[in-house]
Amino acid sequence: MGKLFILFAICLSAFTVVAENKGKIEIPLRFDRYYTYDDVVEALKLLHSTFPELTKLDVVGKSEEGREIYALTINNAKTGEALSKPGVYVDGNIHGNEIQAGEVCLYFANMLLTKYGENDKITKVVDKNAYYIIPVVNVDGRYHFFKDAQTSSSDRSFRIPKDDDRDGLVDEDGPDDLDGDGNICMMRIKDPLGDYKTDPEDPRLMIPVKPGEKGEWTLLGSEGFDNDNDGKINEDGEGYFDANRNWGYDWQPNYVQNGAGNFPLCALGVKAIAAYIHQRPNIIVNFAFHNSGGMWLRAPSIKSEFVDPKDVAIYDIIGKNALKMTPGTVYQPSYDLYDTHGDTDSHMFNLEGSYTFVGELFMRNQETYRENVNKPVVPAAENEASQGRRGGNPVESRELLKFNDYLGLNELYKEWKPFKHPTFGDIEIGGWVKMSSRLPHPFMLPDLVHRNSMVVLYASEQTPEISMEIFDVKEIGKNLHQVRVRLKNAKGLPTMSYKSISNRLYTQDMLKVTGAKVVASGKITDLRNNKISYQEHKPETIYTSVPSYGFSEYQFLVEGKGEIKINYTSRKAGNLVKGTKL
Amino acid sequence: MIKNVLCNLLVLAILAVGANLQAQNGLSFDKYKTNSEVQKALTMLQQKSPSTAALHKIAESPGGEPVFVLEIGKDLKNVPAIFVGANFEGKTPLSTEGALFLAKMILDSANYTRKLKWMILPLPNPDATVGYFSNVKWERTVNDSSVNDDKDDQLNEDGPEDLNGDGLITKIRAEDPEGSYIISDKDPRIMIKADPAKGERGKYKLYPEGIDNDGDGEINEDGPGGINPGINFPHLFKSNARDAGLWPGEAPETYGVMKFIFDHPEIAMVYTLGTSDFCMAPPRVGRKGGANMESLKIPARFASRIGADPEKTYTMNEAVEIFKAAMPSRGGREMNAETVAEFLGLGATVNPLDDDLKFYTDLSEKYKAYLKAKGFSTDRLAADTDKDGSFELWAYYHLGVPSFSMNLFTPPKLSEQKNKEAVPKENASRESIPRTTDPDEREKNLQAYIDKKLNGAGFVKWQSYTHPTLGKVEIGGIAPFVNSTPPVSQIDSLCKVQLPWLLTLSKKLPDLHLMNEVVTDLGAGVYRLELFVENRGFLPYPTAMGGKNRQPAPVVVILEGENLQLLEGYARTPLGDIGGNQVKKLTWTIKTDKKALKAHIESPLFDATVRQIKIGG
Repeated sequence: MGKLFILFAICLSAFTVVAENKGKIEIPLRFDRYYTYDDVVEALKLLHSTFPELTKLDVVGKSEEGREIYALTINNAKTGEALSKPGVYVDGNIHGNEIQAGEVCLYFANMLLTKYGENDKITKVVDKNAYYIIPVVNVDGRYHFFKDAQTSSSDRSFRIPKDDDRDGLVDEDGPDDLDGDGNICMMRIKDPLGDYKTDPEDPRLMIPVKPGEKGEWTLLGSEGFDNDNDGKINEDGEGYFDANRNWGYDWQPNYVQNGAGNFPLCALGVKAIAAYIHQRPNIIVNFAFHNSGGMWLRAPSIKSEFVDPKDVAIYDIIGKNALKMTPGTVYQPSYDLYDTHGDTDSHMFNLEGSYTFVGELFMRNQETYRENVNKPVVPAAENEASQGRRGGNPVESRELLKFNDYLGLNELYKEWKPFKHPTFGDIEIGGWVKMSSRLPHPFMLPDLVHRNSMVVLYASEQTPEISMEIFDVKEIGKNLHQVRVRLKNAKGLPTMSYKSISNRLYTQDMLKVTGAKVVASGKITDLRNNKISYQEHKPETIYTSVPSYGFSEYQFLVEGKGEIKINYTSRKAGNLVKGTKL
Repeated sequence: MIKNVLCNLLVLAILAVGANLQAQNGLSFDKYKTNSEVQKALTMLQQKSPSTAALHKIAESPGGEPVFVLEIGKDLKNVPAIFVGANFEGKTPLSTEGALFLAKMILDSANYTRKLKWMILPLPNPDATVGYFSNVKWERTVNDSSVNDDKDDQLNEDGPEDLNGDGLITKIRAEDPEGSYIISDKDPRIMIKADPAKGERGKYKLYPEGIDNDGDGEINEDGPGGINPGINFPHLFKSNARDAGLWPGEAPETYGVMKFIFDHPEIAMVYTLGTSDFCMAPPRVGRKGGANMESLKIPARFASRIGADPEKTYTMNEAVEIFKAAMPSRGGREMNAETVAEFLGLGATVNPLDDDLKFYTDLSEKYKAYLKAKGFSTDRLAADTDKDGSFELWAYYHLGVPSFSMNLFTPPKLSEQKNKEAVPKENASRESIPRTTDPDEREKNLQAYIDKKLNGAGFVKWQSYTHPTLGKVEIGGIAPFVNSTPPVSQIDSLCKVQLPWLLTLSKKLPDLHLMNEVVTDLGAGVYRLELFVENRGFLPYPTAMGGKNRQPAPVVVILEGENLQLLEGYARTPLGDIGGNQVKKLTWTIKTDKKALKAHIESPLFDATVRQIKIGG
């Protein structure tokens, strides 16, 4: 029975219609469609071949199933080597099902490249920064999300098998596409003892019965059957391996948080991307896009971890503006959602010294069918039962279905249809389909990708712009000169995060004098009162950083005559040299 | 004088050679082996037993050296394996010798490979061993990766220098009004901390032997090398700790070890030869943190959603049931202790679980009795405490297997105050309860050991020196490695006495078999089948920690038969936990018209013999 049934299911799925849009891939790229993994690769290759002077396309590594993970670098070599500029890193789709995160990355790249030289704002940031874009981190996941039957929230995992039910078999009992429509929907069975009855206002919906009321339906969970005959359905599906719990910073094992993997960076893609990033220490701000909730998350990821308020103030510059650019979102520390360990953003913030944001893209409350979108369909006071999950209240579910009917071309919801289940007998299958619930309908995608890309663009406008001024050179003794230097930052991101400084993560920015002997040097703490904090050792080099929208001032006492050079070297804010004559 | 020290060491070394140290298979233990000698020894051992032994290259160090695991018993299937790692910090050459000695003992006797295989890693940190084997000895623990320790503009620019040319990096004592050390009035060779409460005032500062190469005011703050693989494992890893690396597994040696071990689910026990000693005393308890699984509170934000009482305390099992009822699955994930612990944010376990402490304690008593019977004195300085990020802690907490470490040598207790072990002060440290001796006492004892057992070799007499930045100073003190590395003459006997205990422990492994069955005829072709699974071993499977972290490979009992209908129970039944020397019963209700069926255990490490079960008359 079981085997025959599998065969039957396989035959059906051969006729599955894949839900992505087709269409020739051209520059400029279109964003009223979703790109399969192969489409993403084609689009990246096309961007690279159309803009060869501004781009570099690297294969960062390969996935567990052998797919290539691509990174597109956008850098104008005429304005300098990539590593000599502030680096802006953007990735997406670390969870296989969160595909529109990839579209945000593609849109951002497409926007920078197609508008370069035409739009001053774009030209300026492209000339100033180096961009590193990995649209799809979970390449196997994206491939399988399009190809296989899924729910909107399944297929997050990397292809690293795990024996979730501890029966000695791996990934042997995931959901099954019983009706062969390419979606994993819900199963329900007629049951007078059930907990649900048909919603009188919309027969597609079910509502819980009140005590004493007669039931009509029992919900049987996601589409599937008991593949391994252990009395449980869908208890050991793909993975579960969450690449966003496999990074090195504060990694914790599976029993602390499921999906962590056996050890840090055990996933090929995570290891490869971690190395790729580590080799690009100029990265100063980064974004990782996910797909659901409408949130901008910043460090830290666990509540007990201290983040310097000075760093929070820097985050706020971008985060508070992002709120206005993407209406309806919230901006909060990552732990406000829940504590996570070994996530990408803490790794980047704590170990690579980059200001990191997670963008949770889609907001289901934008799927509206009502006159005044500002008036909630369910008053907040009555909405406790839904626990903030839209659709948790029947009034909201009815509106979502009307959205599907009037705006979603009936593409988001599948009507309940009878099905003969191998163990349950006569059941019905129906509900929200794969390309719903966490993904905007393609008509909404252009707005989403643009608004979110503009947040990245804004952050990249805020990368440090350092200027150097030698503002006071005078002889103060025989052959002894006082040389005063000011470093100014015209932008919102400091040259180093306060976390990197306090953790001594890497060598600080350096201000170094060459060409003559430096007798003493130090930071000017109060210019008007002539206060200088002299350093005890190695006066020719001052280790420092330049704050957000600010400046810092230094004094060197130099012995000798002639030309000296003052070199400013920064890992994330570029290098400067100025000379002066003594 | 310096020459005298070296001479003495040399004499001891020569004395050591001569006895019957040539082993049966050509491996000798009359010197500490360099990295290339270890590789040669491994190759030789493998080539002597090509049908059972294999060499696996599991990593390459940043210095370009291969890291090898010697597998013994590659021909065996469905048997457990013991993984033996030694010298992760690279500064205990004796433990590398111990690993090779153990390999030799295993290969010399058929006794320990009958139903057991071994994976032996004698030298996971080859780069660091130059500290012992170069012309200038210093206790190096880091590999060759590039780490700019002092975060300046140069890499590895300020390491130690052998200023007095004696081939040893010892200490500098410099008179300094801000110093906190004084010369001991009992023994002028020893520097002790001044105690202002006793009216003492510090007179000296101590520095490691070297100069301030980069002129930053610090001595030896950025020496060669980067990461110490011995503290680069994930359990209690500290990202900001010196030499630990940025993240666990950043060192390729560490990463390679973890990958190799996870690729071998048959590894059922782990031994570590190094500085800590879980054979002598169980892994330490008293670390702050970790949740009590019998008394959990469910935060209000979950409680309202799942119908729990935020004021009440629940056991983990109760909490799982509540979560299961409220949210049967989440993204296709089953609700179990693991997912619930994650929901509740319970964090990592940091103290050994009580059930595991039972076998640790029991076996440590037996070990002491074993050593006593061998006439081996345990009256010696305590082994080091287990280190955060160490291999042995990771093995217990993350693999969930019994993890036994052994320190093959600490100096005997000889000083007059030999029983003055430091008592942990209350509130001294919430995180750690030191088992080590008071540092001054340790120093005095070490000095007594050098005097009485090494004829003074191992102490460098303080001699004046003109230091480029510190001026007039003295260089001297206890030589590196003296406290961990005995004269080569002792390698053989230390190994011979202590290592057989690890072979004895190997006999304690869990050993699961289908024992017998009871079939009850319920009539009409319906039977109740009760199948008894026994653990003939002393140790449980898995450990309590393994039960908690769900990492050890599951054991599944498979039932097969023609026309077999299972009315109750399933064809594949996970066994769950089974204690040492325990029997566990599994029950099925079946319907069949046949007279027999078959059962077997499915697991990468236990007996898979198929048991024929007769049904009815």
